[in-house]
Amino acid sequence: MKIGIPRALVYYYYFPFWQALFEYLGYEVLLSDPTTTHILNKGVKEATPEICVPIKVYVGHVLDLLDKNVDKIYVPRFVSIRKGVTFCPKFLGLPDMLKYSLRGVENKILTHIIKSKTDDISGYNNYRDLQRELGVKGKIMREALAYASKKWHDFRKLQQLGYTTEKLLEGQKVKQNDGGLTIALLGYVYNMYDQFINMGLRSKLQEMGVRIVTFEELTLETIEEELKQFNKLMFWEFTNKILGAGYHFIHSPAISGLIHVTAFGCGPDSILGPFLELEAEKYNKPFMTLRIDEQTGESHLLTRLEAFTDLLKLNRKQERIKKVDIG
Amino acid sequence: MKVTFPYMGTTQVYAVYAKLLELLGHEVILPAKPNKKTTALGVKYSPEFACYPLKVIMGTYLDAIERGADTVVTSGGHGPCRAGYYGELHKKIIHNMGKEVDFIIFDEPKRGYRQFIENVKKVKGDISWFRVFKILKTVYYLSCSLDKLEKLFTRKRAYVKDKTGFNQAWEEIIKRYSQIEDVREIEAVEKEARDKLDSFPTVIPPEEERLRIGVVGEIYVVMEASVNNNIEEILNSLGAEVERSHYISEWVQESLIPFAGKRAEEIMKKGERYLEIIIGGHAKQSVGHIIDYKERGFDGVIHLKPFGCLPELITQSLLDKISEDLDLPILSLSIDEQTASANIITRVEAFLDMVRYKKYKRRERRISHG
Repeated sequence: MKIGIPRALVYYYYFPFWQALFEYLGYEVLLSDPTTTHILNKGVKEATPEICVPIKVYVGHVLDLLDKNVDKIYVPRFVSIRKGVTFCPKFLGLPDMLKYSLRGVENKILTHIIKSKTDDISGYNNYRDLQRELGVKGKIMREALAYASKKWHDFRKLQQLGYTTEKLLEGQKVKQNDGGLTIALLGYVYNMYDQFINMGLRSKLQEMGVRIVTFEELTLETIEEELKQFNKLMFWEFTNKILGAGYHFIHSPAISGLIHVTAFGCGPDSILGPFLELEAEKYNKPFMTLRIDEQTGESHLLTRLEAFTDLLKLNRKQERIKKVDIG
Repeated sequence: MKVTFPYMGTTQVYAVYAKLLELLGHEVILPAKPNKKTTALGVKYSPEFACYPLKVIMGTYLDAIERGADTVVTSGGHGPCRAGYYGELHKKIIHNMGKEVDFIIFDEPKRGYRQFIENVKKVKGDISWFRVFKILKTVYYLSCSLDKLEKLFTRKRAYVKDKTGFNQAWEEIIKRYSQIEDVREIEAVEKEARDKLDSFPTVIPPEEERLRIGVVGEIYVVMEASVNNNIEEILNSLGAEVERSHYISEWVQESLIPFAGKRAEEIMKKGERYLEIIIGGHAKQSVGHIIDYKERGFDGVIHLKPFGCLPELITQSLLDKISEDLDLPILSLSIDEQTASANIITRVEAFLDMVRYKKYKRRERRISHG
């Protein structure tokens, strides 16, 4: 049986887990193609017009898998990966949305609820529905989950050692060059690593001699430490991660500036944005918000990135001059 | 302490919330009904992609603060809908503007008992618990009574000739309600109000020509007439009876009074057909209400949501399928600061024409078959 996994949303965070899980259980895993104009357009056509572009991309990938004739499409329903904090409602309703708005997928959606207390989603209770659906023995499922969990922790460790995520997902280990500038990119994995949707944002920055840091490179403890200052956490776990990471980067002198990458109409980010912006202002840290959607033009993006990095370079030069003057 | 609060649900703002705070002995700075000025203010100081209710409420806060309010009392929430975080964000932005305003945000007690009790103490002041209980009881019954009347009002207005007079009478009724101070007065006031509404002559068409429209969606835009361009009045003026999915008293029953939410549970159960779990906001209730309206013989449903509303976007994705399965016309409207009333009127008018035609066709078929 071929199980299709859409190359979208939290694929960029959990794929190593899923791959290990299904391969251990003896299924063939098939990924949808990397996002293309064709895939995006299909998603845009079928999804509700007002919904954010990552969901449109996801719909496009599901349709791509349908064309590839997979037997099942794996769409887990992510409810939470931290106690009391959920995902964006669009994740919560994702399987329902697909089932009732696309033709031909009803019987192909393979779904189960994930309610985990931590990032590690290998808790056996989450997989009972899946196990029943696939007709796997409990013992084997437990083994597979343990194996997947180990694989996923390996992946996360490598991320934290500074290996780039896009290469890790392809099974290669590559580290970034150390550029002159370090910029923190804040954003959800699906906007960050989908080269099509962000128009090669990361490679463009790297070409400009920038070293990029993201929240995945931080350990969870670092993020937790920053989150302690909030008396009420946000309701969406990845938003919290970016909030914590953002504050950490803003306070860290090694970071020259921050770019918040967000999708047009992203609800959680509309709440997160002011918290980052105001904090960056307070610490006098250059901060830019890049909003992307299916209409974004590449030259617009390039111009803004160039202007931002120029500004950071100028900042650094002036600081050096100041230091010389004082010395 | 000069207190203000979020403006939601025209009918109840003055009669219920303001009353509650007044009875508790606070000086209340009434929030203005959202208008062009307050909304422009809210849009200016809110994040661009925040949902519309956040901006509207922001505007009314700023307006009330200008008029001297120094404390905001509001509710929190647990997500995943953004509304639960409004308080925190409003606080952050307003403080950043250099305004020293105290925010009393009521979250569920289990999120922090100490904070909750502190909040209660602040709002309660020196009043005895017995008196507080009495006040809550009065306000709750008042709100139930007002909601009952409002349902009658939006049903009847469809058939009243003198709509201006009828609206005026309604405003007088609300004013009368806001003078109530004791629970024992309610019955008499309600009777008086009913008589008043009944005194207007109506022309009610035969049963098969009556149009019933349900309004579902995100709670703020559904309840707040000044934000949804008076959609209920538009529907009434076009000759349709209206019922909406949210009324304050029902919200209180569901969320605050234990074991009183039977009807709400039933609605949730119906929503399960299309939404397996609760995804935040009132998405599942919206779906449940649509099914419920169909079962109760309504002719069409209007779905309202603020632009970009997270949970209702999922509902919206399901609407085509629901409409097809139930054979029920559904119109979905997104509302934000750009929405023009001419747009809404035109779309609602076209929608009603379609609903009416559909109903007519069905009857014709039945007659020819019969």
